[in-house]
Amino acid sequence: MAVQLLVILVPVLFGFMGFALDLGRLYLIRGELNQAANSMALSAARQLIGTSAATDFATNAARLTVDNASQNANKYNFGSLRIGDSSGFYTSDVPDPSYFATAAEAMAAEPGSTADGTTARYVQANIVADAPLTFWALLAAGASRKTTVAARAVAGISAPLCTACGIENFAIQALDQTDLFNFGLVAGTRYTFGYVCNGNPQPGGLAGAAQRLPYLLLDRYNAGDMFDESQQLFRIGGGGLPGSTVSTQSCFRAGNSEVVWASAVPQTCASLAVPQSVVNLLCGVSSRFTNDTPTTCTGVSDVANLSASFTADADLTDIDDYTTYTGSIRRVITIPIVDTLSAANAMTILGFRQFLLDPTTGNTSNVPSDTNGRFEALYIGSPVPVKQGRFDGGCQAQSGPGKVVLFQ
Amino acid sequence: MRRRSRGGNTVLEAALFIPILVTLLVSVEQLGKLTYTYYTIKKALYSAARYIGTQQGVNFCDAADPSILAGLNFALTGSTDGSANPLVTGLTPDMLLVSIERYSAADQTLSACDCSATGCDTSAGGTAPDFIVVSIPEGYAMRPIIPFLTLEPILLKPQVKVPFTGT
Repeated sequence: MAVQLLVILVPVLFGFMGFALDLGRLYLIRGELNQAANSMALSAARQLIGTSAATDFATNAARLTVDNASQNANKYNFGSLRIGDSSGFYTSDVPDPSYFATAAEAMAAEPGSTADGTTARYVQANIVADAPLTFWALLAAGASRKTTVAARAVAGISAPLCTACGIENFAIQALDQTDLFNFGLVAGTRYTFGYVCNGNPQPGGLAGAAQRLPYLLLDRYNAGDMFDESQQLFRIGGGGLPGSTVSTQSCFRAGNSEVVWASAVPQTCASLAVPQSVVNLLCGVSSRFTNDTPTTCTGVSDVANLSASFTADADLTDIDDYTTYTGSIRRVITIPIVDTLSAANAMTILGFRQFLLDPTTGNTSNVPSDTNGRFEALYIGSPVPVKQGRFDGGCQAQSGPGKVVLFQ
Repeated sequence: MRRRSRGGNTVLEAALFIPILVTLLVSVEQLGKLTYTYYTIKKALYSAARYIGTQQGVNFCDAADPSILAGLNFALTGSTDGSANPLVTGLTPDMLLVSIERYSAADQTLSACDCSATGCDTSAGGTAPDFIVVSIPEGYAMRPIIPFLTLEPILLKPQVKVPFTGT
Protein backbone atom coordinates (compact mmCIF):
# COMPACT_ATOMS: atom_id res chain seq x y z
CA MET A 1 0.00 0.00 0.00
CA ALA A 2 2.66 2.48 1.08
CA VAL A 3 4.89 1.55 -1.83
CA GLN A 4 2.12 2.10 -4.38
CA LEU A 5 1.30 5.45 -2.81
CA LEU A 6 4.95 6.42 -2.90
CA VAL A 7 5.30 5.42 -6.55
CA ILE A 8 2.38 7.68 -7.44
CA LEU A 9 3.20 10.54 -5.10
CA VAL A 10 6.93 10.94 -5.65
CA PRO A 11 6.72 11.97 -9.33
CA VAL A 12 3.82 14.30 -8.52
CA LEU A 13 5.75 15.82 -5.65
CA PHE A 14 8.88 16.22 -7.73
CA GLY A 15 6.84 17.71 -10.52
CA PHE A 16 5.42 20.39 -8.24
CA MET A 17 8.87 21.15 -6.86
CA GLY A 18 10.08 21.64 -10.41
CA PHE A 19 7.15 23.88 -11.21
CA ALA A 20 7.94 26.01 -8.21
CA LEU A 21 11.57 26.44 -9.19
CA ASP A 22 10.87 27.21 -12.83
CA LEU A 23 8.03 29.57 -12.06
CA GLY A 24 10.17 31.45 -9.57
CA ARG A 25 12.83 31.89 -12.19
CA LEU A 26 10.28 33.07 -14.76
CA TYR A 27 9.17 35.79 -12.37
CA LEU A 28 12.78 36.80 -11.81
CA ILE A 29 13.42 36.96 -15.55
CA ARG A 30 10.31 39.00 -16.10
CA GLY A 31 11.50 41.45 -13.44
CA GLU A 32 14.96 41.68 -14.94
CA LEU A 33 13.55 42.26 -18.42
CA ASN A 34 11.19 44.93 -17.08
CA GLN A 35 14.08 46.83 -15.57
CA ALA A 36 16.04 46.51 -18.80
CA ALA A 37 13.04 47.80 -20.77
CA ASN A 38 12.65 50.73 -18.35
CA SER A 39 16.27 51.62 -18.87
CA MET A 40 15.90 51.41 -22.65
CA ALA A 41 12.81 53.58 -22.71
CA LEU A 42 14.32 56.24 -20.42
CA SER A 43 17.48 56.32 -22.48
CA ALA A 44 15.58 56.65 -25.76
CA ALA A 45 13.13 59.27 -24.51
CA ARG A 46 15.93 61.73 -23.81
CA GLN A 47 16.66 61.85 -27.53
CA LEU A 48 13.11 62.66 -28.64
CA ILE A 49 13.65 66.33 -29.42
CA GLY A 50 11.31 66.82 -32.36
CA THR A 51 13.78 66.57 -35.21
CA SER A 52 13.59 64.19 -38.17
CA ALA A 53 16.65 62.30 -36.98
CA ALA A 54 15.46 62.06 -33.36
CA THR A 55 14.07 58.53 -33.60
CA ASP A 56 17.33 57.21 -35.05
CA PHE A 57 19.26 58.73 -32.16
CA ALA A 58 16.69 57.39 -29.71
CA THR A 59 16.91 53.85 -31.09
CA ASN A 60 20.67 54.00 -30.82
CA ALA A 61 20.46 55.29 -27.24
CA ALA A 62 18.05 52.51 -26.29
CA ARG A 63 20.40 49.84 -27.61
CA LEU A 64 23.29 51.24 -25.58
CA THR A 65 21.70 49.96 -22.37
CA VAL A 66 21.84 46.35 -23.58
CA ASP A 67 24.99 46.62 -25.68
CA ASN A 68 27.63 44.67 -23.83
CA ALA A 69 30.65 46.50 -25.26
CA SER A 70 31.47 47.97 -21.85
CA GLN A 71 30.64 44.67 -20.06
CA ASN A 72 28.01 46.42 -18.00
CA ALA A 73 24.89 45.90 -20.05
CA ASN A 74 21.60 44.93 -18.45
CA LYS A 75 21.19 41.16 -18.67
CA TYR A 76 18.70 38.51 -17.53
CA ASN A 77 18.45 35.02 -16.02
CA PHE A 78 20.53 35.87 -12.92
CA GLY A 79 22.49 38.26 -15.11
CA SER A 80 23.88 35.45 -17.23
CA LEU A 81 22.15 35.92 -20.58
CA ARG A 82 22.65 38.94 -22.80
CA ILE A 83 19.60 40.78 -24.03
CA GLY A 84 19.39 40.95 -27.81
CA ASP A 85 21.63 37.94 -28.33
CA SER A 86 20.49 36.02 -31.40
CA SER A 87 23.05 33.23 -31.13
CA GLY A 88 23.00 30.26 -28.75
CA PHE A 89 20.08 28.22 -27.46
CA TYR A 90 18.33 31.02 -25.58
CA THR A 91 17.84 33.94 -27.92
CA SER A 92 16.29 37.30 -27.21
CA ASP A 93 14.99 39.97 -29.50
CA VAL A 94 15.14 43.71 -28.98
CA PRO A 95 13.11 45.24 -31.78
CA ASP A 96 13.56 48.93 -32.52
CA PRO A 97 11.49 50.90 -30.00
CA SER A 98 8.17 52.27 -31.23
CA TYR A 99 7.44 55.98 -31.20
CA PHE A 100 4.16 57.72 -30.51
CA ALA A 101 2.83 61.25 -30.28
CA THR A 102 0.66 60.68 -27.19
CA ALA A 103 1.21 58.76 -23.98
CA ALA A 104 -2.16 56.99 -24.23
CA GLU A 105 -1.23 55.61 -27.62
CA ALA A 106 2.18 54.50 -26.43
CA MET A 107 0.68 52.59 -23.51
CA ALA A 108 -2.19 51.04 -25.45
CA ALA A 109 -0.82 50.37 -28.88
CA GLU A 110 0.99 47.31 -30.12
CA PRO A 111 4.58 47.82 -31.25
CA GLY A 112 4.83 49.83 -34.44
CA SER A 113 5.60 53.52 -34.60
CA THR A 114 2.79 55.87 -35.47
CA ALA A 115 4.88 59.02 -35.15
CA ASP A 116 8.00 60.17 -36.94
CA GLY A 117 10.91 61.99 -35.37
CA THR A 118 9.29 65.41 -35.58
CA THR A 119 6.14 64.38 -33.69
CA ALA A 120 7.37 61.54 -31.46
CA ARG A 121 7.17 62.38 -27.75
CA TYR A 122 6.81 58.93 -26.20
CA VAL A 123 8.71 55.73 -26.70
CA GLN A 124 7.63 52.16 -26.12
CA ALA A 125 10.50 49.71 -25.60
CA ASN A 126 9.88 45.99 -26.01
CA ILE A 127 12.00 42.97 -25.19
CA VAL A 128 11.15 39.37 -26.02
CA ALA A 129 13.51 36.81 -24.52
CA ASP A 130 13.73 33.04 -24.11
CA ALA A 131 13.62 31.86 -20.51
CA PRO A 132 15.04 28.45 -19.61
CA LEU A 133 12.69 25.75 -18.31
CA THR A 134 14.69 23.13 -16.46
CA PHE A 135 12.00 21.02 -14.82
CA TRP A 136 9.07 21.63 -17.07
CA ALA A 137 11.16 20.07 -19.78
CA LEU A 138 10.28 16.70 -18.23
CA LEU A 139 6.68 17.25 -19.26
CA ALA A 140 5.37 17.32 -22.80
CA ALA A 141 4.29 20.98 -22.54
CA GLY A 142 7.79 22.11 -21.72
CA ALA A 143 9.60 19.85 -24.14
CA SER A 144 11.24 22.77 -25.94
CA ARG A 145 13.06 23.55 -22.66
CA LYS A 146 12.36 27.24 -23.00
CA THR A 147 9.53 29.71 -23.15
CA THR A 148 9.37 33.36 -24.16
CA VAL A 149 8.96 36.15 -21.67
CA ALA A 150 8.15 39.67 -22.85
CA ALA A 151 8.58 43.03 -21.18
CA ARG A 152 7.52 46.51 -22.14
CA ALA A 153 8.18 50.01 -20.87
CA VAL A 154 6.91 53.41 -21.91
CA ALA A 155 8.76 56.65 -21.28
CA GLY A 156 8.38 60.14 -22.61
CA ILE A 157 8.01 63.79 -21.89
CA SER A 158 6.31 64.87 -18.67
CA ALA A 159 3.80 67.62 -18.11
CA PRO A 160 5.27 71.15 -18.29
CA LEU A 161 7.70 71.75 -15.43
CA CYS A 162 7.37 74.49 -12.85
CA THR A 163 11.01 74.24 -11.84
CA ALA A 164 13.56 73.65 -14.57
CA CYS A 165 17.12 72.69 -13.68
CA GLY A 166 20.36 72.75 -15.60
CA ILE A 167 19.04 75.39 -17.98
CA GLU A 168 20.62 78.66 -19.14
CA ASN A 169 20.24 81.97 -17.33
CA PHE A 170 19.46 84.31 -20.24
CA ALA A 171 16.19 86.05 -19.47
CA ILE A 172 14.09 87.58 -22.20
CA GLN A 173 10.87 89.51 -21.89
CA ALA A 174 7.59 87.99 -23.05
CA LEU A 175 6.52 89.77 -26.23
CA ASP A 176 2.90 88.99 -25.43
CA GLN A 177 2.01 87.81 -21.93
CA THR A 178 -1.46 86.69 -22.97
CA ASP A 179 0.01 84.13 -25.38
CA LEU A 180 0.45 81.21 -22.99
CA PHE A 181 2.03 78.98 -25.60
CA ASN A 182 4.71 81.10 -27.26
CA PHE A 183 4.71 84.41 -25.35
CA GLY A 184 4.36 86.20 -28.70
CA LEU A 185 7.40 84.49 -30.19
CA VAL A 186 6.98 82.76 -33.54
CA ALA A 187 8.32 79.21 -33.88
CA GLY A 188 10.82 78.85 -36.68
CA THR A 189 11.82 82.51 -36.52
CA ARG A 190 15.44 83.42 -36.13
CA TYR A 191 15.97 86.11 -33.50
CA THR A 192 18.99 88.14 -32.53
CA PHE A 193 19.70 88.04 -28.82
CA GLY A 194 21.30 91.31 -27.72
CA TYR A 195 22.31 92.38 -24.22
CA VAL A 196 20.17 95.11 -22.75
CA CYS A 197 21.67 98.60 -23.07
CA ASN A 198 20.36 101.97 -22.05
CA GLY A 199 19.65 104.98 -24.23
CA ASN A 200 19.83 105.36 -27.96
CA PRO A 201 20.52 104.28 -30.56
CA GLN A 202 19.39 100.75 -29.75
CA PRO A 203 21.47 98.21 -31.70
CA GLY A 204 19.79 96.33 -34.54
CA GLY A 205 19.61 92.66 -35.35
CA LEU A 206 22.32 90.60 -36.96
CA ALA A 207 22.18 89.65 -40.63
CA GLY A 208 19.35 87.21 -41.25
CA ALA A 209 17.69 87.81 -37.89
CA ALA A 210 16.12 91.23 -37.97
CA GLN A 211 14.29 91.23 -34.65
CA ARG A 212 16.44 91.85 -31.60
CA LEU A 213 15.37 90.27 -28.31
CA PRO A 214 17.04 92.13 -25.45
CA TYR A 215 18.24 89.79 -22.70
CA LEU A 216 19.69 89.99 -19.20
CA LEU A 217 21.67 87.44 -17.23
CA LEU A 218 19.84 86.24 -14.14
CA ASP A 219 21.91 85.95 -11.00
CA ARG A 220 23.18 82.50 -10.06
CA TYR A 221 26.54 83.59 -8.66
CA ASN A 222 27.77 81.01 -6.17
CA ALA A 223 30.16 82.61 -3.71
CA GLY A 224 31.11 79.27 -2.18
CA ASP A 225 32.02 77.61 -5.46
CA MET A 226 35.59 76.52 -6.16
CA PHE A 227 35.34 78.26 -9.54
CA ASP A 228 35.68 82.03 -9.69
CA GLU A 229 32.98 84.21 -11.19
CA SER A 230 34.37 84.22 -14.73
CA GLN A 231 34.61 80.43 -14.69
CA GLN A 232 31.09 80.06 -13.31
CA LEU A 233 29.76 82.19 -16.14
CA PHE A 234 31.73 80.20 -18.70
CA ARG A 235 30.36 76.92 -17.36
CA ILE A 236 26.77 78.16 -17.42
CA GLY A 237 27.27 79.28 -21.01
CA GLY A 238 28.89 76.00 -21.91
CA GLY A 239 26.46 73.57 -20.36
CA GLY A 240 23.68 75.31 -18.48
CA LEU A 241 23.54 75.75 -14.72
CA PRO A 242 25.90 73.20 -13.15
CA GLY A 243 24.30 70.63 -10.87
CA SER A 244 24.08 71.57 -7.24
CA THR A 245 22.63 69.99 -4.16
CA VAL A 246 21.12 73.42 -3.48
CA SER A 247 18.07 73.53 -5.72
CA THR A 248 17.86 77.31 -6.04
CA GLN A 249 21.44 77.36 -7.33
CA SER A 250 20.86 75.08 -10.29
CA CYS A 251 17.19 75.68 -11.06
CA PHE A 252 14.72 78.38 -12.03
CA ARG A 253 11.14 78.25 -10.89
CA ALA A 254 8.19 79.80 -12.67
CA GLY A 255 6.58 82.49 -10.53
CA ASN A 256 9.78 83.26 -8.66
CA SER A 257 11.40 86.69 -8.64
CA GLU A 258 14.90 86.97 -10.00
CA VAL A 259 17.44 89.76 -10.21
CA VAL A 260 20.15 90.54 -12.71
CA TRP A 261 23.66 89.09 -12.25
CA ALA A 262 25.42 91.73 -10.15
CA SER A 263 28.42 92.23 -12.41
CA ALA A 264 26.35 92.23 -15.59
CA VAL A 265 24.60 95.57 -15.21
CA PRO A 266 23.70 97.01 -18.64
CA GLN A 267 25.75 99.90 -19.99
CA THR A 268 24.80 102.69 -22.33
CA CYS A 269 24.21 101.68 -25.91
CA ALA A 270 26.56 104.37 -27.11
CA SER A 271 29.50 102.82 -25.27
CA LEU A 272 29.37 99.85 -27.67
CA ALA A 273 30.42 97.45 -24.95
CA VAL A 274 28.83 94.83 -22.76
CA PRO A 275 29.92 93.88 -19.24
CA GLN A 276 32.86 91.46 -19.14
CA SER A 277 30.60 88.93 -17.42
CA VAL A 278 28.42 88.71 -20.51
CA VAL A 279 31.51 88.11 -22.68
CA ASN A 280 32.63 85.35 -20.34
CA LEU A 281 29.28 83.66 -20.59
CA LEU A 282 29.18 84.00 -24.38
CA CYS A 283 32.64 82.40 -24.44
CA GLY A 284 31.04 79.40 -22.79
CA VAL A 285 28.31 79.45 -25.42
CA SER A 286 30.96 79.35 -28.14
CA SER A 287 32.25 76.07 -26.65
CA ARG A 288 29.03 74.53 -27.96
CA PHE A 289 30.22 75.29 -31.49
CA THR A 290 33.96 74.88 -31.40
CA ASN A 291 36.65 73.25 -29.31
CA ASP A 292 38.96 76.21 -29.99
CA THR A 293 38.79 79.02 -27.48
CA PRO A 294 38.18 82.44 -29.04
CA THR A 295 40.91 84.99 -28.33
CA THR A 296 38.48 87.33 -26.57
CA CYS A 297 38.03 84.76 -23.84
CA THR A 298 41.27 85.33 -21.96
CA GLY A 299 39.18 87.07 -19.29
CA VAL A 300 38.09 83.64 -18.07
CA SER A 301 40.56 82.14 -15.61
CA ASP A 302 42.26 78.99 -16.84
CA VAL A 303 40.01 78.97 -19.89
CA ALA A 304 41.93 76.31 -21.82
CA ASN A 305 41.38 73.62 -19.20
CA LEU A 306 37.83 74.67 -18.55
CA SER A 307 36.80 74.56 -22.20
CA ALA A 308 38.32 71.09 -22.65
CA SER A 309 35.40 69.48 -20.85
CA PHE A 310 32.83 70.98 -23.21
CA THR A 311 32.60 69.29 -26.56
CA ALA A 312 31.32 70.99 -29.67
CA ASP A 313 28.00 69.97 -31.14
CA ALA A 314 28.10 67.43 -33.97
CA ASP A 315 25.92 69.57 -36.23
CA LEU A 316 27.24 73.08 -36.79
CA THR A 317 25.19 74.02 -39.83
CA ASP A 318 23.22 77.22 -40.03
CA ILE A 319 19.67 75.96 -39.48
CA ASP A 320 16.39 77.63 -40.41
CA ASP A 321 14.27 74.49 -40.19
CA TYR A 322 14.67 72.97 -36.72
CA THR A 323 13.56 69.49 -37.86
CA THR A 324 16.72 69.15 -39.95
CA TYR A 325 18.97 69.50 -36.89
CA THR A 326 21.06 66.34 -36.39
CA GLY A 327 23.33 67.38 -33.53
CA SER A 328 23.89 66.24 -29.98
CA ILE A 329 21.44 68.73 -28.38
CA ARG A 330 24.37 70.93 -27.28
CA ARG A 331 23.02 73.83 -29.31
CA VAL A 332 19.61 73.89 -27.62
CA ILE A 333 19.21 76.42 -24.83
CA THR A 334 16.29 76.57 -22.39
CA ILE A 335 15.78 80.02 -20.97
CA PRO A 336 13.39 81.74 -18.57
CA ILE A 337 10.85 84.16 -20.03
CA VAL A 338 10.14 87.05 -17.63
CA ASP A 339 7.35 89.62 -17.41
CA THR A 340 9.46 92.77 -17.63
CA LEU A 341 13.20 93.00 -18.15
CA SER A 342 14.71 95.25 -15.55
CA ALA A 343 18.21 95.67 -14.24
CA ALA A 344 16.93 97.63 -11.25
CA ASN A 345 13.89 95.65 -10.11
CA ALA A 346 13.02 92.02 -9.61
CA MET A 347 11.72 90.11 -12.60
CA THR A 348 9.07 87.40 -12.37
CA ILE A 349 9.60 84.23 -14.39
CA LEU A 350 6.55 83.33 -16.47
CA GLY A 351 7.83 80.14 -18.01
CA PHE A 352 10.60 78.51 -20.02
CA ARG A 353 11.14 78.26 -23.75
CA GLN A 354 13.79 76.83 -25.97
CA PHE A 355 15.98 78.17 -28.74
CA LEU A 356 18.44 76.55 -31.10
CA LEU A 357 21.68 78.52 -31.25
CA ASP A 358 22.75 79.40 -34.77
CA PRO A 359 26.24 80.45 -35.75
CA THR A 360 26.45 84.16 -36.48
CA THR A 361 26.17 84.66 -40.24
CA GLY A 362 29.61 84.47 -41.83
CA ASN A 363 31.09 82.64 -38.84
CA THR A 364 31.22 79.08 -37.61
CA SER A 365 30.08 79.96 -34.11
CA ASN A 366 28.59 82.81 -32.15
CA VAL A 367 30.96 85.77 -31.76
CA PRO A 368 31.67 86.40 -28.07
CA SER A 369 33.40 89.67 -28.92
CA ASP A 370 30.25 91.21 -30.41
CA THR A 371 30.07 94.72 -28.98
CA ASN A 372 26.42 94.32 -28.11
CA GLY A 373 26.59 90.75 -26.84
CA ARG A 374 24.57 89.59 -29.79
CA PHE A 375 24.06 86.05 -31.09
CA GLU A 376 21.49 84.34 -33.27
CA ALA A 377 18.99 81.75 -32.12
CA LEU A 378 16.03 80.02 -33.70
CA TYR A 379 12.87 79.84 -31.58
CA ILE A 380 11.71 76.22 -31.37
CA GLY A 381 9.04 76.27 -28.66
CA SER A 382 9.64 73.59 -26.03
CA PRO A 383 10.23 70.18 -27.63
CA VAL A 384 13.44 69.18 -25.82
CA PRO A 385 13.27 67.47 -22.40
CA VAL A 386 15.26 69.44 -19.84
CA LYS A 387 17.80 67.60 -17.70
CA GLN A 388 15.81 67.70 -14.49
CA GLY A 389 12.97 69.62 -12.90
CA ARG A 390 9.95 69.51 -10.64
CA PHE A 391 6.23 70.25 -10.70
CA ASP A 392 6.06 71.91 -7.29
CA GLY A 393 4.26 75.08 -6.39
CA GLY A 394 1.23 74.75 -8.64
CA CYS A 395 2.50 77.10 -11.34
CA GLN A 396 -0.18 75.75 -13.70
CA ALA A 397 1.93 76.04 -16.81
CA GLN A 398 -0.17 75.57 -19.93
CA SER A 399 2.82 74.57 -21.98
CA GLY A 400 6.55 74.46 -21.69
CA PRO A 401 9.38 72.00 -21.56
CA GLY A 402 9.04 68.80 -19.55
CA LYS A 403 11.49 66.18 -18.41
CA VAL A 404 11.80 62.49 -19.19
CA VAL A 405 9.58 60.29 -17.05
CA LEU A 406 8.60 56.64 -17.04
CA PHE A 407 4.93 56.00 -17.78
CA GLN A 408 4.69 52.22 -17.61
CA MET B 1 1.70 -11.09 13.97
CA ARG B 2 1.43 -10.24 10.30
CA ARG B 3 -0.12 -6.86 11.00
CA ARG B 4 2.62 -5.95 13.40
CA SER B 5 5.34 -6.90 10.90
CA ARG B 6 3.79 -4.72 8.13
CA GLY B 7 3.55 -1.84 10.57
CA GLY B 8 7.24 -2.06 11.34
CA ASN B 9 7.99 -2.14 7.63
CA THR B 10 6.10 1.08 7.04
CA VAL B 11 7.89 2.82 9.87
CA LEU B 12 11.19 1.65 8.46
CA GLU B 13 10.25 2.89 4.98
CA ALA B 14 9.18 6.20 6.39
CA ALA B 15 12.39 6.48 8.36
CA LEU B 16 14.34 5.93 5.13
CA PHE B 17 12.33 8.29 2.97
CA ILE B 18 11.59 11.19 5.25
CA PRO B 19 15.17 12.48 5.37
CA ILE B 20 15.41 12.35 1.56
CA LEU B 21 12.06 14.04 1.19
CA VAL B 22 12.94 16.74 3.70
CA THR B 23 16.25 17.35 1.99
CA LEU B 24 14.51 17.80 -1.33
CA LEU B 25 11.83 20.07 0.07
CA VAL B 26 14.34 22.21 1.90
CA SER B 27 16.58 22.49 -1.15
CA VAL B 28 13.64 23.65 -3.24
CA GLU B 29 12.84 26.20 -0.57
CA GLN B 30 16.48 27.31 -0.45
CA LEU B 31 16.69 27.67 -4.23
CA GLY B 32 13.52 29.71 -4.11
CA LYS B 33 15.05 31.88 -1.43
CA LEU B 34 18.14 32.32 -3.58
CA THR B 35 16.01 33.56 -6.48
CA TYR B 36 14.04 35.77 -4.15
CA THR B 37 17.17 37.30 -2.62
CA TYR B 38 18.71 37.88 -6.04
CA TYR B 39 15.66 39.73 -7.23
CA THR B 40 15.36 41.70 -4.00
CA ILE B 41 18.93 42.89 -4.40
CA LYS B 42 18.41 43.60 -8.09
CA LYS B 43 15.39 45.75 -7.31
CA ALA B 44 17.30 47.55 -4.58
CA LEU B 45 20.11 48.30 -7.05
CA TYR B 46 17.57 49.61 -9.55
CA SER B 47 16.05 51.86 -6.88
CA ALA B 48 19.50 53.13 -5.97
CA ALA B 49 20.38 53.76 -9.61
CA ARG B 50 17.18 55.67 -10.30
CA TYR B 51 17.47 57.65 -7.08
CA ILE B 52 21.05 58.67 -7.75
CA GLY B 53 20.35 59.09 -11.46
CA THR B 54 17.84 61.85 -10.84
CA GLN B 55 19.80 63.80 -8.23
CA GLN B 56 21.48 67.11 -8.81
CA GLY B 57 25.01 68.02 -7.99
CA VAL B 58 26.16 64.43 -7.54
CA ASN B 59 29.92 64.09 -7.42
CA PHE B 60 30.57 60.57 -8.66
CA CYS B 61 34.28 60.97 -8.08
CA ASP B 62 33.81 61.33 -4.34
CA ALA B 63 33.17 58.01 -2.65
CA ALA B 64 31.62 59.82 0.31
CA ASP B 65 29.27 61.96 -1.76
CA PRO B 66 26.15 62.54 0.37
CA SER B 67 23.71 62.08 -2.53
CA ILE B 68 25.20 58.72 -3.47
CA LEU B 69 25.26 57.53 0.15
CA ALA B 70 21.68 58.68 0.64
CA GLY B 71 20.62 56.82 -2.50
CA LEU B 72 22.32 53.60 -1.48
CA ASN B 73 20.98 53.79 2.05
CA PHE B 74 17.51 54.52 0.77
CA ALA B 75 17.58 51.53 -1.54
CA LEU B 76 18.95 49.14 1.07
CA THR B 77 16.98 50.25 4.12
CA GLY B 78 14.22 52.60 3.03
CA SER B 79 15.73 55.54 4.91
CA THR B 80 18.28 57.93 3.42
CA ASP B 81 20.39 57.87 6.59
CA GLY B 82 20.41 54.08 6.78
CA SER B 83 18.81 54.01 10.23
CA ALA B 84 15.96 51.65 9.32
CA ASN B 85 16.27 47.87 9.19
CA PRO B 86 18.17 46.55 6.19
CA LEU B 87 16.16 44.91 3.42
CA VAL B 88 18.72 42.16 2.94
CA THR B 89 20.72 41.08 5.96
CA GLY B 90 24.40 41.80 5.58
CA LEU B 91 24.11 43.96 2.49
CA THR B 92 25.70 47.32 3.28
CA PRO B 93 26.20 50.45 1.16
CA ASP B 94 29.98 49.99 1.08
CA MET B 95 29.51 46.71 -0.84
CA LEU B 96 27.81 48.57 -3.66
CA LEU B 97 29.73 50.29 -6.42
CA VAL B 98 28.32 53.16 -8.44
CA SER B 99 30.29 53.51 -11.67
CA ILE B 100 29.75 55.99 -14.45
CA GLU B 101 29.86 55.70 -18.20
CA ARG B 102 29.94 58.15 -21.04
CA TYR B 103 28.73 57.84 -24.58
CA SER B 104 31.31 58.49 -27.23
CA ALA B 105 29.66 59.79 -30.38
CA ALA B 106 32.80 59.03 -32.38
CA ASP B 107 32.79 55.25 -31.97
CA GLN B 108 29.16 54.99 -30.76
CA THR B 109 29.99 53.01 -27.64
CA LEU B 110 29.89 53.48 -23.91
CA SER B 111 33.02 53.41 -21.87
CA ALA B 112 33.93 54.09 -18.27
CA CYS B 113 34.11 57.82 -17.60
CA ASP B 114 37.30 58.83 -15.84
CA CYS B 115 37.49 61.21 -12.91
CA SER B 116 39.20 64.15 -14.54
CA ALA B 117 38.33 67.69 -15.56
CA THR B 118 37.69 66.49 -19.11
CA GLY B 119 35.86 63.42 -17.82
CA CYS B 120 33.06 63.24 -15.30
CA ASP B 121 34.62 64.96 -12.28
CA THR B 122 32.00 67.68 -11.95
CA SER B 123 33.83 69.24 -9.02
CA ALA B 124 36.85 69.88 -11.26
CA GLY B 125 34.85 71.24 -14.18
CA GLY B 126 33.86 68.00 -15.90
CA THR B 127 30.37 67.31 -17.18
CA ALA B 128 27.86 64.78 -15.95
CA PRO B 129 28.05 61.15 -17.14
CA ASP B 130 25.47 59.63 -19.50
CA PHE B 131 24.86 56.32 -17.75
CA ILE B 132 25.34 54.99 -14.24
CA VAL B 133 25.92 51.38 -13.30
CA VAL B 134 25.24 50.06 -9.81
CA SER B 135 26.82 46.70 -9.03
CA ILE B 136 28.20 44.55 -6.23
CA PRO B 137 31.80 43.89 -7.28
CA GLU B 138 32.53 41.34 -4.55
CA GLY B 139 29.09 39.80 -4.69
CA TYR B 140 26.60 39.13 -1.93
CA ALA B 141 27.43 35.74 -0.42
CA MET B 142 24.48 33.50 0.30
CA ARG B 143 24.93 29.96 1.61
CA PRO B 144 22.00 27.63 0.98
CA ILE B 145 21.27 25.67 4.17
CA ILE B 146 20.35 22.11 3.15
CA PRO B 147 20.43 19.18 5.60
CA PHE B 148 23.29 16.68 5.15
CA LEU B 149 24.99 18.94 2.59
CA THR B 150 27.72 21.52 3.13
CA LEU B 151 27.65 24.01 0.31
CA GLU B 152 29.99 26.82 -0.59
CA PRO B 153 28.36 30.27 -0.43
CA ILE B 154 26.90 31.37 -3.74
CA LEU B 155 27.92 34.88 -4.81
CA LEU B 156 25.05 36.98 -6.13
CA LYS B 157 26.27 39.75 -8.43
CA PRO B 158 23.34 41.61 -9.94
CA GLN B 159 23.96 44.91 -11.67
CA VAL B 160 21.82 47.62 -13.18
CA LYS B 161 22.50 50.26 -15.79
CA VAL B 162 20.25 53.28 -16.18
CA PRO B 163 20.66 56.61 -17.99
CA PHE B 164 21.74 59.54 -15.81
CA THR B 165 19.06 62.20 -15.97
CA GLY B 166 20.22 64.55 -13.24
CA THR B 167 22.38 67.63 -13.63
